[in-house]
Amino acid sequence: GGHKGRSYDRSRRDRQPGSHSGGFGGPGPRSRLADMDEDVAMSDNSQDSSAQHRFNPYGRPIRKGGDGRFDRRPGKGGGGGRGGGGGGGFRGGRGGGGRSRSGWFKIPHGKKYDKQWLLTALQNICSVPYRPVQFHVDHNRAHFYVDDSSTAHALHKCSHKITDTDGYKVEVHVNPSAPPSSLVSDLKPEHLEHLKQCMAKRFDGSQQALDLNNIRTDPDLVSQNIEVILNRKTSMEAVIKIIEENIPELTCLNLSNNRIHKLDELAELVTKVPNLKTLNLSHNELKSDRELDKLKGLKLGELWLNRNPLCDFFKDQASYIRSDGNDLPAPIGFDVETYYSIYDSGDRQPLLDAYHDGASLSLTTPYSTQNPSRSSLGEYHKDSRNLRRHKDSTLRYRLLKHTRLNVVAFLNELPKTQHDIASFTVDVNTYTNTLLSFTVSGVFKEGEGKVNPLLKYLKTVQTYGLSTLCHSLCIVNDQLFIRMATTEEIRRAFVAPAPTPSSSPVPTLTAPQQEMLTAFSQKSGMNLEWSQKCLQDNEWDFNRAAQIFTQLKTDGKIPDVAFIK
Amino acid sequence: MATTLDFRTHVDQSCRYSEEFVNIYYDCMDKKRRNLTRLYLDKATLVWNGNAVSGQDALAEFFESLPSSEFQVHTLDCQPVHEQATQGQTTLLVVTGGTVKFEGNKQRFFNQNFLLTAQLLIFFKWK
Repeated sequence: GGHKGRSYDRSRRDRQPGSHSGGFGGPGPRSRLADMDEDVAMSDNSQDSSAQHRFNPYGRPIRKGGDGRFDRRPGKGGGGGRGGGGGGGFRGGRGGGGRSRSGWFKIPHGKKYDKQWLLTALQNICSVPYRPVQFHVDHNRAHFYVDDSSTAHALHKCSHKITDTDGYKVEVHVNPSAPPSSLVSDLKPEHLEHLKQCMAKRFDGSQQALDLNNIRTDPDLVSQNIEVILNRKTSMEAVIKIIEENIPELTCLNLSNNRIHKLDELAELVTKVPNLKTLNLSHNELKSDRELDKLKGLKLGELWLNRNPLCDFFKDQASYIRSDGNDLPAPIGFDVETYYSIYDSGDRQPLLDAYHDGASLSLTTPYSTQNPSRSSLGEYHKDSRNLRRHKDSTLRYRLLKHTRLNVVAFLNELPKTQHDIASFTVDVNTYTNTLLSFTVSGVFKEGEGKVNPLLKYLKTVQTYGLSTLCHSLCIVNDQLFIRMATTEEIRRAFVAPAPTPSSSPVPTLTAPQQEMLTAFSQKSGMNLEWSQKCLQDNEWDFNRAAQIFTQLKTDGKIPDVAFIK
Repeated sequence: MATTLDFRTHVDQSCRYSEEFVNIYYDCMDKKRRNLTRLYLDKATLVWNGNAVSGQDALAEFFESLPSSEFQVHTLDCQPVHEQATQGQTTLLVVTGGTVKFEGNKQRFFNQNFLLTAQLLIFFKWK
């Protein structure tokens, strides 16, 4: 194993009595008292590691199959119509809580080694198996806990028995201590039981999906004064424990909107929730893509990261426009919503920030026998680049816009548009350390409020970014294909999204609204919560809401939970 | 070090390569389906309507599972991918569109995009 011997000299100096910093007393020159171990940052890398960071260390993100709006909601159920219940679920409380322990010991080490090397070397010569708890590095020392005195004793005997690659002996020091902070939960057993019930309600067995979006504000917890704050180690660990014990076959986990800034505890998911395929971390406080390295080993199909500081699209914060409306995240580090907000805004100049200096853009429309001036694609036909039709190399060259100034100038000349943000899909094609290739597709109409046929676009984008830096991606190649929308696409376009339960406060309803709600609930069979959402999304137009409901129901897009009264 | 070609030359070359590639690709797809995986790198990924298929074995299985096809490519566009994003490895973005009829199905529109790297270009040059 690798041995980082860089810090070695420092610790050697520490061996001289008297020069040891921060004397703490107790046995041995480097013993420390338990209370110095408050939530120390767990890191098994040295501070200035130059380790390579891959852009996406956790497997390829893919879009779930299907076009339904429900499919795109991370962590929530897909096509409905399946029988309620389904496999797994929260089992009844297992007997007993924690395991019995006879005491906690902490073992400080005098040097900073590669964690894996150190723990393996110790296990090789230690007479008993041990499980290191809360391994962490503080200054030059490595610390961990073990849970009983005989193990601690056995480890102590390993002191001076291992020689590191520099020829020095590894020292093992043992001290009694209180249990490490990681296992001291500030959630009492009865709180944990409530939390479990709360999580059970948010669990969809048919999808093996758990929705913990903004769990802090869940009425069940708030009413009991239970604080489940997922950016706190103890809360997150409690949640993971409950998942591990009750629903370890979980495949979708939604942790959005929980102010999460570190993923240390989530690393446990790799072993405890091995079937996890979808993880939604959108709308949190992740600042660096290095955090994502902690998820190494998770074979995710989808990872949602939008609305985290690490995804900031624009270099200039002032030009960032937050898009309103429904939260439909794109699973990449490129803010597609913002791009189209600007694209639709009437001034596309700010898109300059989205493109690399040397960017290229071209546009293609399908071959059409129609008179171009009559066709709705007329505005785009004249700039369409199609190598099947254009054989002259100069013309081919001219139709390719090159450099970002030319690209954006060209885009600014294209007609004003309104994209249906709710309908776009994003597919990641491939990625490397420096390249991310994806395709966005959706529908848009020209102009504002004009009755114009709908157009469908497919934008294939190559973006450049350095995965080692927390920099935004910029577009280097942009290929835009535009055609008429099909009747099916038109039917589904610009429709209010399907109702979903939310934890936002319920506004008080007027009497007519109450009546409408009761009637709608009766007719549709949906519970009041879902009926209300459907009506609200359709501006309390009963007939429109009913139409939408019927449509979605026929398409099998309403999950069973909507009908549970 | 290789000489950097100017952008115009890149564009000209990429047009020629992409035309040749597309002819070979869809010919294989329609008539010599088993040869198709030879056009993919070992670690290539294909994404079809949101579903990813990676690696030679999975790709072979995937192509075998598709009914026989008749592709008509109506639109073709390509761009050289900026070298900074590819760390100097010559890469082309190729985008096609047209219609396809799979046996047993009605004719549909299709759109497809490819990222070609220099290895494939050499392959085509000497075929």
